[in-house]
Amino acid sequence: MGLKRSHLYEYHKEHGKIVEFAGFEMPVWFEGIIPEHNAVRNSVGLFDVSHMGRTIAEGKDVEKYVNYIITNDVSALEPMSGLYTVMCNSKGGIVDDLTLYKLDNERVLIVYNASNREKDFNWFKNLLEGFDISISDVSDDIAMIAIQGPKAEKTLQEIATANLKDLPRFKIAESKILGYDSLIARTGYTGEDGFEVFILDTPLKNPIKAIEVWNMLLDVGAEYGIKACGLGARDSLRLEAGLSLYGNDIDEEINPFEAKLRWVVKLKKASNFVGKDALLKISFEGVKKTRVGITLEERGIPRHGYEIWDQGKIGVITSGGYSPTLDRGIALGYVPLEYDKIGTPVKIKIRDKFVKGKICKSHPFYDESEYGWKREMK
Amino acid sequence: MEEGNEMSQEYEIPEGLHYTKEHEWAKSLEDDTVLVGVTDYAQKQLHEIVYVELPEIGREVKSSDSIGAVESVKAVSDIFSPVAGTVIEVNETLIDSPELINEDPYKRGWIVRIKPKDLKADLAKLLDPEAYRRHLVEQSH
Repeated sequence: MGLKRSHLYEYHKEHGKIVEFAGFEMPVWFEGIIPEHNAVRNSVGLFDVSHMGRTIAEGKDVEKYVNYIITNDVSALEPMSGLYTVMCNSKGGIVDDLTLYKLDNERVLIVYNASNREKDFNWFKNLLEGFDISISDVSDDIAMIAIQGPKAEKTLQEIATANLKDLPRFKIAESKILGYDSLIARTGYTGEDGFEVFILDTPLKNPIKAIEVWNMLLDVGAEYGIKACGLGARDSLRLEAGLSLYGNDIDEEINPFEAKLRWVVKLKKASNFVGKDALLKISFEGVKKTRVGITLEERGIPRHGYEIWDQGKIGVITSGGYSPTLDRGIALGYVPLEYDKIGTPVKIKIRDKFVKGKICKSHPFYDESEYGWKREMK
Repeated sequence: MEEGNEMSQEYEIPEGLHYTKEHEWAKSLEDDTVLVGVTDYAQKQLHEIVYVELPEIGREVKSSDSIGAVESVKAVSDIFSPVAGTVIEVNETLIDSPELINEDPYKRGWIVRIKPKDLKADLAKLLDPEAYRRHLVEQSH
């Protein structure tokens, strides 16, 4: 089976270093991971996220249906608002993590990981019975671009009709962008302020609208030093923000309590949902291991699969790398509960050496008065 | 094939050095020691090198032993010794400036100096610049 391409492949092929990711040919970097990473933390960067999955669920039972498949609760959600959630299997394992937006009382847009496009759509399909709704996979009909960083609002506002200043986090607005019908959500995967832009009615086979918007954003962002960013910077930015990556930090063998995602599990919501019995039991009995952040105190770079040690092996790194913002190695991993205390010393086995690290604040790793969407704009 | 040839032109492969298929270079010095580093191809593949793990001075190595690692943001690559011998010096400037390997892989980006045991035999097993260029072309297919 051939690799898939996103709406912006032609740009990537000309300007980026292409790698295979989740069955797609995607850019890992354009100029380099570090300059792209720093552009987003300090100013603004642009990401093609058209490889992600997008499904629209529509019909009069849409709220009931969505609440049945996810652990979070959409019943209190106002129209044109979004939330982050997971969906679990009957054992409480995480099938995927998702962002979804209630467009109106009968339409929900669900956004999910590229690596799970087929799995998730089949999952949605298999749970339709008994609900008066229909679902359609619109991934190839809507282009998706993320613009992230403290200058994202100023840049995007240049070409969008929606009033972005008044769009709070996790809200979504209809907008024209260069005259094209679009949706703009104030969300992202970098820890920074920013937007995810959905350019509607943009078929993969005729992606001209997406290409025009992409190029225009690079143009108008030039005064802020905007950079096109690849998957490498996307990964290093989300790691610094302490955000899980499906397939690395969370999967069907991990439950949301272990993953420190208790806040998206609404055991008390009115409706039943897939995995509820298992999650109730896990919540009552407690978990044995939990996700933590680790910073290295010595030189070295922790990576996926490396062992975490105390006297012996206590866990495994699920995501790790070099943090450009902190200029040191940082990692996410799972350890027994008793190690989940900030400052606890651990060692990471890197090849044949043990490198000193400690459990740290990891959501995010950086100082929130200096970086990320909560900082005061200077 | 044409595309491959073009590709191998993008990489600097200096004369007078000896190369491994794993993209290390070895340079035989006048004092009978050997300088070792990674090739232009290796540094371009890794991109943005942020950490170099160096061996201890005095370590005895066989040829093809892992003597350290070069790490970029995205990937790790072992450094395999092209020759057998004793590590007599490491490039300590790489500790604070690993990017020297990107900037100048054949000179300021050298990694270790080795006192070889049987230089002639080891060099005979390595690739000359032309053979290394062919290796890059074949590898790209």
